[in-house]
Amino acid sequence: MKTKTHVWDVIILLLIAAFLILPLALTFFYSVFTQWTDILPTGFTLSFYAGIFSDGAFINSLLRSIIISFVPVVICTISILLVLYVITLYVPKMEKYIEILCNIPYAIQGVILAAGVISLYSGKPGFLSNRIFLLVGAYCIIILPYVFRGLKNTIGALNVQCVIEAAQVLGCSKFHAFFSIVIPQMKRGIVSTMMLAFTMLFADFVVVNMIAGSSFRTAGIYLYQTMSKSGQTSSAIIVILFITTLIISTLTMIIQNKQTVKGRKS
Amino acid sequence: MNNSLKKSRLYLLGLLPFFLIAFLFEILPLANIVVESFSKTGGNGFTLEHFFKIFTTRLYQQSIFNSLWISIFSAFIGIVIAFLGAKAANAASIKIRNIFTSVLNITSNFAGVPLAFAFMILLGNVGILTLIGKNYGIGFLADFDLYTINGLLLTYIYFQIPLATLLMLPIFGGLKKEWKEAVGILGGNSFHYWFKVAIPSLLPSILGTFSVLFANSLAAYGTAYALLSNNIALLPIRISQQYVGEVVQNQEFGCALSLVMMALMVLSILITNKLQKRATGGRS
Repeated sequence: MKTKTHVWDVIILLLIAAFLILPLALTFFYSVFTQWTDILPTGFTLSFYAGIFSDGAFINSLLRSIIISFVPVVICTISILLVLYVITLYVPKMEKYIEILCNIPYAIQGVILAAGVISLYSGKPGFLSNRIFLLVGAYCIIILPYVFRGLKNTIGALNVQCVIEAAQVLGCSKFHAFFSIVIPQMKRGIVSTMMLAFTMLFADFVVVNMIAGSSFRTAGIYLYQTMSKSGQTSSAIIVILFITTLIISTLTMIIQNKQTVKGRKS
Repeated sequence: MNNSLKKSRLYLLGLLPFFLIAFLFEILPLANIVVESFSKTGGNGFTLEHFFKIFTTRLYQQSIFNSLWISIFSAFIGIVIAFLGAKAANAASIKIRNIFTSVLNITSNFAGVPLAFAFMILLGNVGILTLIGKNYGIGFLADFDLYTINGLLLTYIYFQIPLATLLMLPIFGGLKKEWKEAVGILGGNSFHYWFKVAIPSLLPSILGTFSVLFANSLAAYGTAYALLSNNIALLPIRISQQYVGEVVQNQEFGCALSLVMMALMVLSILITNKLQKRATGGRS
């Protein structure tokens, strides 16, 4: 049977695509015109972008977003790699308990996690009530399920036992073999998992708004505060943030595709 | 205390960072939510007053109702649109399918505060479509009120569609052409094929997708907060209000609300699992 494209199918796809693209495209056009009071906007300008980039406050908030998204990703990835080292080589029985711990965050998404963390730690003495510390911890939990699954699938695709045994025969310790042979082989999987986790945290608004609020202005918070002041500046910020996310997620997909191609070849 | 035993257990240190993070930011906060929901405001002692307040106050009843309503409806409409989209994409040529998938991948990143803002310039009080509606006398555009629960529903449907379609696309690949031919040979038409063969076989996956979408919109916060600030009865908004903002804060009450929301989340997962088992049970 030959597949031929029906007109109806194309119309449905076009309608869905149009609905999805419309708000996005509009936000972009809104950011490059000074006036929009009829069907077509007037007064093309890039001044809103120039304004944003000359505003130190925005650049700082963007840097804050990048750092606060990156640090938890690194901490979480290293912790999970260590866990995988232990459960694949020493105590496989433990895997199911670790898996449960890694799936709980699905049920305590966003607002619940933030509520739990502040209820527990706000007003506590010392570093425990430090908002940045709490934010990093909460962020680790948000990405935990995704990092665990991503890394576990990556390590599952390798024949770890075999590699480690071969290394041991050659006089290499398990620890050394794991970190100098297995992990480098997981490189692509690790990078793409980390990037996925990064984009999730980069887009976060609820947890940072509840835990840190205006005391730690990320790009999301900055955008929220700008919204009531200038529409065009806000849409320019949205475009910049969106393009940043898009670049990272496109790179992630490229890396993942290469990985599967490589996997199929071998 | 022999040395080799000590050495052989050294690997357990590898679990330390993970357990430390999970303990401090997952187990303890979770346990704390449960304990504080049953504690008196600002003090100790067991009480059920928070739950009594939640289930008897109009605002909180409405919040639970609205959260469930918007999650169920946005998930349902999202699934229907995704079903049509995935069906069409599956039948289309590879080139068209790839373009469509790219659109889905790109727009799936568009959510939260940015999405709310985009809808404001589209359909807000001085939104572009609203203005066009006013200038050209198109009633439903001119009178559309974004700042209501129905307006919010539209934004929720928006972010459900890419996710739902991306989850449904691979499922459609599992439908075999032979089935359609077999239905044809047995004298059935495409109605029979879809409602007696295709949809029942897709049902477990559709239910799984529904569960993901439901949880996705139940936990959504940024879009609602940016659009309506605290002026809406919605669970996540009411929870965050107990911790930030100008209203008198009540941490214990916030924990009780969180526990209710968590229960809804877990309940939806359990119901879906049960339905999925029933849907596959008959055949396997």
